[in-house]
Amino acid sequence: METINFVVSGLGGQGILFMTKVLAQAALKKGCRVMGAETHGMAQRGGSVVSHLRLGDSKGSLVRTGTAHFLLSLDESEAYRNLPFLAPGGALYANAGPRSFPRGEVRAYLEKKGIRWRAMEATRAAVDLGAPLSSNLALLGFFAGSGEGPMGPRDLEETIEMISPERFRNQNLRVFRAGLESAGGVREPGAMATVGRRASSWPRAPLPAWDA
Amino acid sequence: MTKEEIFLGNGAVALGLLEGGCQVLTSYPGTPSSEILPEAIRLIRRENLKTYVEWSTNEKVALDNAFAAAAAGKRAACCMKQVGLNVASDSLMSAAYLGTTGGLVIVSCDDPGPHSSQTEQDTRLMARLAKVPVLDPSSPEEARQMAALALELSEEFSVPVILRPAIRVCHARQGLSPGALKDREGPASFQKDPLRWAATPRYRLVLHGELNRKLEAVRKRFEGLSSHNHHDLEEGRRYPLGIIAGGVPWAVVRDILAEEGRGDLPVLKIGTPFPFPEETARLFMDACDKVLVLEEPDAVIEYFLRDGGKVRGRLSGHVPPQGELVPEVIHGILDRVLREDGLTPLSEPGGKEVRDLVMGLELPVRKPTLCPGCPHRASFFAIRKAWPKAIFTSDIGCYTLGLNQGAVDTCLDMGAAITMASGFYQAYRQDGVEQPVVATIGDSTFYHSGTAGLLNAVYNDARFILVILDNLTTAMTGMQPTPGLGIRADGSRGKAVSLERVVRGCGVDFVEVVDPYDVGAMISLLKEAQAHVRDKGIAVIIARHPCVIAYREEAVPRPIRVTVTEECKECNICLDRFGCPALYHDEELGRTALKPHLCNGCGVCIQVCPKGAIVEA
Repeated sequence: METINFVVSGLGGQGILFMTKVLAQAALKKGCRVMGAETHGMAQRGGSVVSHLRLGDSKGSLVRTGTAHFLLSLDESEAYRNLPFLAPGGALYANAGPRSFPRGEVRAYLEKKGIRWRAMEATRAAVDLGAPLSSNLALLGFFAGSGEGPMGPRDLEETIEMISPERFRNQNLRVFRAGLESAGGVREPGAMATVGRRASSWPRAPLPAWDA
Repeated sequence: MTKEEIFLGNGAVALGLLEGGCQVLTSYPGTPSSEILPEAIRLIRRENLKTYVEWSTNEKVALDNAFAAAAAGKRAACCMKQVGLNVASDSLMSAAYLGTTGGLVIVSCDDPGPHSSQTEQDTRLMARLAKVPVLDPSSPEEARQMAALALELSEEFSVPVILRPAIRVCHARQGLSPGALKDREGPASFQKDPLRWAATPRYRLVLHGELNRKLEAVRKRFEGLSSHNHHDLEEGRRYPLGIIAGGVPWAVVRDILAEEGRGDLPVLKIGTPFPFPEETARLFMDACDKVLVLEEPDAVIEYFLRDGGKVRGRLSGHVPPQGELVPEVIHGILDRVLREDGLTPLSEPGGKEVRDLVMGLELPVRKPTLCPGCPHRASFFAIRKAWPKAIFTSDIGCYTLGLNQGAVDTCLDMGAAITMASGFYQAYRQDGVEQPVVATIGDSTFYHSGTAGLLNAVYNDARFILVILDNLTTAMTGMQPTPGLGIRADGSRGKAVSLERVVRGCGVDFVEVVDPYDVGAMISLLKEAQAHVRDKGIAVIIARHPCVIAYREEAVPRPIRVTVTEECKECNICLDRFGCPALYHDEELGRTALKPHLCNGCGVCIQVCPKGAIVEA
């Protein structure tokens, strides 16, 4: 199996570790081999946090720059900071205003490299549901709703249900579903023209054929 | 339990130790090692094992305790970060000579980068210095296998063994299939032998000879240990370039070679850097015209390869002498070496364009910061306000981030807030200058190594204010309990050791407790303390308030809704000297404003604003 590389970025306290854990657990359930790398310690106190997730036969836990298929970012600046990870033809999901994202010079780069992007205001969605610290689940739902990656929305939802602490379970699921909803609704100019292939046809190529 | 589960690398270490029959497990938390003990406790509970666990007060204590268990024939392990091994090194050096009856494994986790440490030191060099075998895993799965192997080797050869996972192993996640765990039989049975266990220098020479013979036997075992020392040479083939790698760089370079389809470059993996498997390495070297050595954080394998002319690595300048060998760095090193030798280079990695693009965006620098509502922030504000001209010595923990408030000037090592404070005081007093010094140290760090420095300061009449920032937990490393709480590693009750009593026991006459959320009270206490320092001696203030992450509700029982009014005159004291992430400068409003979703309602900022512009909503 070719390795599929994810990079998840944001700020300490935004729940990057939990988000990565959901992705990893769901992939494991799908029968993928899972390898990942996390940030702990000092940087968790509000600094830039990045976690890596590799599905497939990789030996190392770190994604090399220029080889990530997916970059999921809970913060707009952190999305830009981690752009070097993305492979040509990869996909970027960001917690940012869909109308203003990405900045002009970034947009030109993404278009040139065939990198597709989608943005949603995940923090606002989470705040609206009374769970201001759950932007991670909103963005995860948004990603799931786009039908990309080996794990589909159902797998991710079941995983969230399974691994959420009891007192956050329902709230987590609500925020995830809100993200899922908004993935169906948002169609911004420059955003993906088509939704990627469904999970059942994954994976055949190192980079999925986005325009299939 | 045979189903595949995702394990943190540190969980894999815990699993391996328990699979290897570990009966006693001790640790002091420190990134990247902190999760080993909690993960072990999770497995011990799940499998109903009898393994004894403890959070020890420091790493030396942890090693001594585990050593005694191993001297009594048990299988024991202690876990720490690499700089923790410095603290435990007194014990380690001697333990190597005395040897073990059962098994003793020291897990020391390295931090190339460094991501969360004072140094990039290499545990493998400590192993060489102490003359104990060291195993260097490349993945969580290998860390698990090596943890069990280390216990077996230790018992077989009667020598302590170090397991050295680096941060990318500790904090990797991998799917593993754990088998059933069961308790190892074998009661404690210490065989008295004072000649050995209490050896005098004369007999230490004998023990040194014994240790050297053990190491030679272990080396022979390592030569044949093909599960962890292996290569992919084809018989009779010569290679212009070979790669020798260990630990995480091995995993990284294997991935790069697989991606690039480079079967022409053989790789020797060294999983046992000391005692070095010389014959295995020589065989590989003989088949290659040149070799590139990839290891971190320092050069160890490279020193053992005696044919220096063939070898490229840190010593030859081909590998950077500091910093983590992340995949793009290894890709660059390998590519340069291939080009230098006139061999087919790697594929162009690109990336310059995007790096330049990102550089040009002038993205905000994300400094780590104390959490909203953190009691340390309130303490630092008060300290800085009461004694703006003092030298602020501090220590290792979340509160090093008092840097952001101009209230931390030094951070040397565990406990140095106190020892550097006395050092500064004496250095100035020699010149007849009474320099105010305010030291800050966390509760767990104080228990770890504060008392010796405090005793010394009292005894030698060093005069300064010591503020013990008591948030009732070991926050930075993941909320481990401290001796002050009386809750033990497994959640059972221990005896709470009162900070106040320990401080008084060190001979300090001025010991006061204050809640730092009351900024005014803390400032007046600091002034009172300085009067005591001037006239009588050292003063200790215990600033006690629970950590807002560990004790959400108790830390802020009645959240206050805060707002910023138009009285704000943009003096920015709240941003520069307090610096709560929930406060920011709003360009449009032309004043400080609040991010309500980050505010946890501690209300301390209300006391901070000199204009009274921050108020309860």
